Amino acid sequence: MEIITTIFTNAFYVLVFPGLLFVAIVGLLLAGIDRKVLARMQKRVGPPLIQPFYDFFKLMGKETIIPHAANRRVFLAAPVVGFVSLVVMMLFIPIFGFSPLSTNADLIILLYLLTIPAVALIVGGSASGSPYAGIGISREMVTMMAYELPLVIVLLTVARKVGGSTLCFSLSEISLFQQAEGSLITNWSLIPAAIAMLLVIPAEVGTQPFDVAEAETEICEGPLVEYSGAPLAIFKLNTAIKMFIMTALFTVLFFGGIDTGFIALNALVLVAICAVLTVICMTLIHAICARLKIEHLFKFYWTVVTVLAAISLILVWLGL
Amino acid sequence: MITVNYIVSVFLIVLGLYTVCTKKNLIKIVLGLGIIDYGVNLLIVSIGWNDGGTAPIFTVTDLLNGVSSKFFVDPVPQALTLTSIVIGACVTAMALSLVIMVYRKYKTLNADEVRRLRG
Amino acid sequence: MINFTHFPVIAVMGLFLCAFLVEIFGAKNKYIRNTIALVAAFGAFALIAALIKPVFVDGNVISYWMGNWTPVGGYAIGIGYEIDALNLFFALLVVTTVLLSGIYSVKYMERDHHLGHYYTLYLMLSGSVLGLVLTGDIFNMFVMIEIMTFASVALTAFRNNKLGALEGAFKYLIIGSVGSSLTLSGIALLYAQCHTLNMSQLSAALATGLSPTTILAFALMFAGFGVKSYIVPFHAPAADAYMAAPTSVSMLFSGMVNKAGVYGMIRLTYVIFRAMDLSSVQLLLVTLGTVTMFIGVTMALAQHNFKRLLAFHSISQIGYVITAIGLGTALGLSSGIFHAMNHTLFKGLLFLTAGAVLYATGTCDLDRLGGLSKRMPKTTICFLIGAFSISGLPPFNGFASKWMIYQSTFAKATETGNFGYAFATIVALVVSVMTLASFIKVTQAVFFGQLPENLKEVREVPLLMRIPMWIMSALCILSGVFYNFVAKYLLTPATNAAFNVTNYIDKMMGEGYAAANGITETAIGFSPLDLWNPVLWLILFAIVLISVCIVILTGEKERGRTLVKTDADPEDGKYATFFGGEASTHSHVGGSDLFWGFKHDFKGYFKFIQGMHSGVVNDYALWVVVATALITVFMFIFVR
Repeated sequence: MEIITTIFTNAFYVLVFPGLLFVAIVGLLLAGIDRKVLARMQKRVGPPLIQPFYDFFKLMGKETIIPHAANRRVFLAAPVVGFVSLVVMMLFIPIFGFSPLSTNADLIILLYLLTIPAVALIVGGSASGSPYAGIGISREMVTMMAYELPLVIVLLTVARKVGGSTLCFSLSEISLFQQAEGSLITNWSLIPAAIAMLLVIPAEVGTQPFDVAEAETEICEGPLVEYSGAPLAIFKLNTAIKMFIMTALFTVLFFGGIDTGFIALNALVLVAICAVLTVICMTLIHAICARLKIEHLFKFYWTVVTVLAAISLILVWLGL
Repeated sequence: MITVNYIVSVFLIVLGLYTVCTKKNLIKIVLGLGIIDYGVNLLIVSIGWNDGGTAPIFTVTDLLNGVSSKFFVDPVPQALTLTSIVIGACVTAMALSLVIMVYRKYKTLNADEVRRLRG
Repeated sequence: MINFTHFPVIAVMGLFLCAFLVEIFGAKNKYIRNTIALVAAFGAFALIAALIKPVFVDGNVISYWMGNWTPVGGYAIGIGYEIDALNLFFALLVVTTVLLSGIYSVKYMERDHHLGHYYTLYLMLSGSVLGLVLTGDIFNMFVMIEIMTFASVALTAFRNNKLGALEGAFKYLIIGSVGSSLTLSGIALLYAQCHTLNMSQLSAALATGLSPTTILAFALMFAGFGVKSYIVPFHAPAADAYMAAPTSVSMLFSGMVNKAGVYGMIRLTYVIFRAMDLSSVQLLLVTLGTVTMFIGVTMALAQHNFKRLLAFHSISQIGYVITAIGLGTALGLSSGIFHAMNHTLFKGLLFLTAGAVLYATGTCDLDRLGGLSKRMPKTTICFLIGAFSISGLPPFNGFASKWMIYQSTFAKATETGNFGYAFATIVALVVSVMTLASFIKVTQAVFFGQLPENLKEVREVPLLMRIPMWIMSALCILSGVFYNFVAKYLLTPATNAAFNVTNYIDKMMGEGYAAANGITETAIGFSPLDLWNPVLWLILFAIVLISVCIVILTGEKERGRTLVKTDADPEDGKYATFFGGEASTHSHVGGSDLFWGFKHDFKGYFKFIQGMHSGVVNDYALWVVVATALITVFMFIFVR
C-alpha cells in the first residue's frame, strides 16, 4: 500500500506538479508574456498571451518530415531527451522550501542537467545533416562555453556564501539559509554575481541578442532548420521551459527567503518573480539590442560577465 | 677517490641530456641516450663501493665461521648495473633500428625534418 | 581454502610466458595464435579477479617473496610482490583493458601481417604493466617500466607504413628513455641512502626525515613517473604514439600504460615518501594537474585527427586524476582513482569506436569523414555513450567522478583558505565543457552531417569488434548509475589502503616493523559520502522518457501517418536537405570549421600552444629536462 502511495506521489511530482504539466504551462505562459511585453515595447499590439499554446498545439498537429540525410532515431530522440532533462531539473529546484528531489549536490547536478537541453539541440541539429545546422551547432556550443564559465563562478560564490567554511551545493539548504538570514540579493557583495547571472539567463535560453545559434535571418534557425511538426513543437516548448527554469533558479539563489506557508501561494509568487525576471533580462535586452556576432558574444561573457562574477567570488571569499 | 665517480657520473648524465636536447642528428640523439645510461650506471656502481672491501664471495669456511667480520662491497648495485646495462643496450638497438627505418622513409636524419606529427 | 598468494605472480608470468608461446606455436596458424593470446588475457583476468574477495572484501594484504627470499634481520633483499587494495584496483583496470583489447584485436588486426610479433609485444606490454602495478620492489618496477616502454615503442611502430608511426615511436622511445633514466637515478640515490629496494622498507627507512639526497631522489622519481603518466610538459610524445599505434594498442596505452604512471605517482607520494601532508607537494601536483587538463583539452580542440584528438583528451583527463590525487585528502584520492577507472572505461570505448571508424573507412581524418551514423548506427550509439561519459553528463560515470573531483577541490579550498584550489575547481568545470565541445565536433564531423560519396559503401564493423564496445558502454553506464556500489566496494578499500602505510609495511616486513621505525599512520576509516541517489533519478528519467515517447508515437498513429517515409521518392524535394532554394549538393560542415568563433578569440593562445608542439624531438626532450630541473629546484626550496 505504501509503495503504491509512493509511486503515485512520485508520479504526481513528475507529471503534474512541479513536473511536466506545471513547467509546460508556466513556461509557455512566460513565453507569451515575453512576446506581449516585447510587442508593447515596440509599440505593436502583439499576439494574445496564450499564443505560444496555440503555436504548440498547431505544430503538434503538423506533419513530421525527416530528411534523407538525417539519422532518424537521434533526430527524433533529441528533443525528447532535452525535454525530459528540463522536467527533471524542475524537480531539483525548490519552490521556497518544497522540493521533491533534494540532494546535497543539487548545484552541480543542475549545472550538468542544464547542459543536456543544449546538447540535445546540438546533437539533434547535427543529426539532421544540414550545413545550416552544422553552423548553428557550432555557435550553440561556443555560446555554451561562453556562459558556462561565469555560471560556474556564480554557483560557487553562492555555495561559498551559504556554506561558509564547508561548502553547500544543496538548493534546499540555500533556501533554508535565506529564510533564516534574509535573501541573498540583499547582500551587497553578491550583487555583481546576480547581475552576471541575469546576463547568463538570456544566453542560456537563447533569446536576442544572444540567439546567434538560431539566427533565423542568416542561418535559418540553425539546428532547427530541418525540424518540423511535433519535434519542433517540443524544441519550442524546451526553450519556453528553459526561461522558467533559469529564472526560477535565479529566484532560488537570490530571492530564496520568501515563504508564505502555502505551496500553491509560493508557486504563484515564484511564477510572478519569474515573469518579472523574464521581462527584465530577456524582453528588455531583446528590445534594445541587436544580435551579436559569435566572437563578440564569447568575448563579452569571458570578460565582462566573468569579471562581475569573479568580483563577487573574491568578495565572498574575503568574508564580506 | 670515490668523489670523482660521482662528479663524472653527473657530468655524463648532464652531457647526455645536453646531447639529446641540442643535437639534431638522430644518431647523435641515440648516442646521447647511451651517455645518460653510462652516467647512471657509473652512479649505481659507485654507490655499492666500499673503500677497502673485498668481493662478496665466500667459501664454506667463511660461512661456517660467520661472515660478519668480513668487509665487502655491496653486491646489489652491481646486479642492478648489469640489468641496467642490458636495458641500455636494448634501448640503443631499438632506437638505432628505428632510426634506420626513419631514414628509409624520410630520407633524412635531421630531427627538424622528422616532424610530420605536430600541432 | 585456496592459497591466493601465488595468483599475482602466476598472472604476470603467464602473460610473459604466453608472449613467447604465441611466437613459437602461433606464427603460422591464426587460430592457435588467437587462442593462446585470449587464454593468457582471460587467465590473467580470472586470476586477478579472484583476488577481489580476499583483498577488497576481507581486507587482506597479499605478500609474496620471489624464491621465498623473506627479509632477514629486517632487510629485504629479495624481490617481493605486495598486493593491497590500491594495487589490486589498478591491476583490475589493467586486466580488464587487456582482455577487451584482446577480443577487439582478433578482428581489428586481421588484415595486418606478422601478427605473431603483434601478440608477443601485446602480451609483453600487458605483463609488464601488470607486473608494474603488482610489484613491491622499486627496481623491479623500473625493469617493468623499461619492458613497458619497449613493447609500447615496438607496438607504436607496428604499422610502420602508416604516417608518423616510426616518427611517433622514435619520439616516444627517446622521451620514455630519458624518463626511465631519471627514475633509475632516483632509485640509485634512494638505495644509497636506505640500502634497500623494497617499497615497504624504503617507506620505513624514510620515516626519519628527508636528507638532500632523498629530496633529489624524490624529485627525479617524481619527474620519471610524470613522464610515464604524460602530464604536461611531458605529454608531447604520448599524443604522437596514441595516434600512430594500432587502435587496440592506443586503448592499452590510454587504458593502462598511463594509469601505471598514475599508480607509480600515488605509490611514490602517498606510501614511499608519505609526502602528501606537505602542502608544497600538494600544490605542485594540483598545479601540474590543472595545467595538464587545460592544455590537453585546448590542444584537443585544435586537432583534425580522430585518434590524435582522443590522445589529447587522455592527457587532459589524466590532469583531472593528478589534480584529485594531489589534494592529499581521502575524498580527493578516491575521486582521483575513480576518475582513473572511468577514464579507462570511456576512453577505451572511444578509442574502440575510433578503431571501428578506421577499420570501416580506412581514415581517421575528421575532415574526410561524415554522416557515418546511417552506415554504422551501433558504433554511433557506443560513441555517443563514451562522449557523454567523458563530458560528464549525468547519469554516465564521468559525471559521478567529476562531481567528486569538484567537491574535493572546492572542499580543499574552503579547508585551507587557499583560493588556488577554488581556481582549480573552476578550471575543471570549464575544461569539462570544452571536452563536450570537442566531442560535439567529432560527433558532427564523423557521425552526423552528410555522407561523402566515397563512404556510401561503408559497413558496420563485425560482431567481435562490437562486443568489447558494448561491454565498455555497459560498464560506463553501470558505474555511473550504481556509483554507490563502486564507491563502497572498490574506492573505499583502495583509498584506505593508500593511507594505511603501517599496514602496508607490517604485512611485508613483519608485525611491528613500522612502529619500530616511528610510522604511526593507520587506517583512516574513510567512507564514501552519500552524494546523491542516482537510482531514484534514473527511475524518474525512465518514467518521463517512456511516457513522452508513448504520447508522441501513439499520437502519430491515430492520425494514420507514419513518422518516416522510408520509401519516399529520393527526388522528392520535401525530404531533401534545405539549401535555401539552391540545388542539393554535398555540403558538410567538417570538424575544423566548427568553433571558429571560439578559436578566433583565442587565436594568440592557439598559435602559441600549437607552435610549442613543434614535433621536433629535441624540443620535447628540452621540456622534460627543464621541467625536471624546475621540479628539483621546487623540491629543494619547499619540501622539508
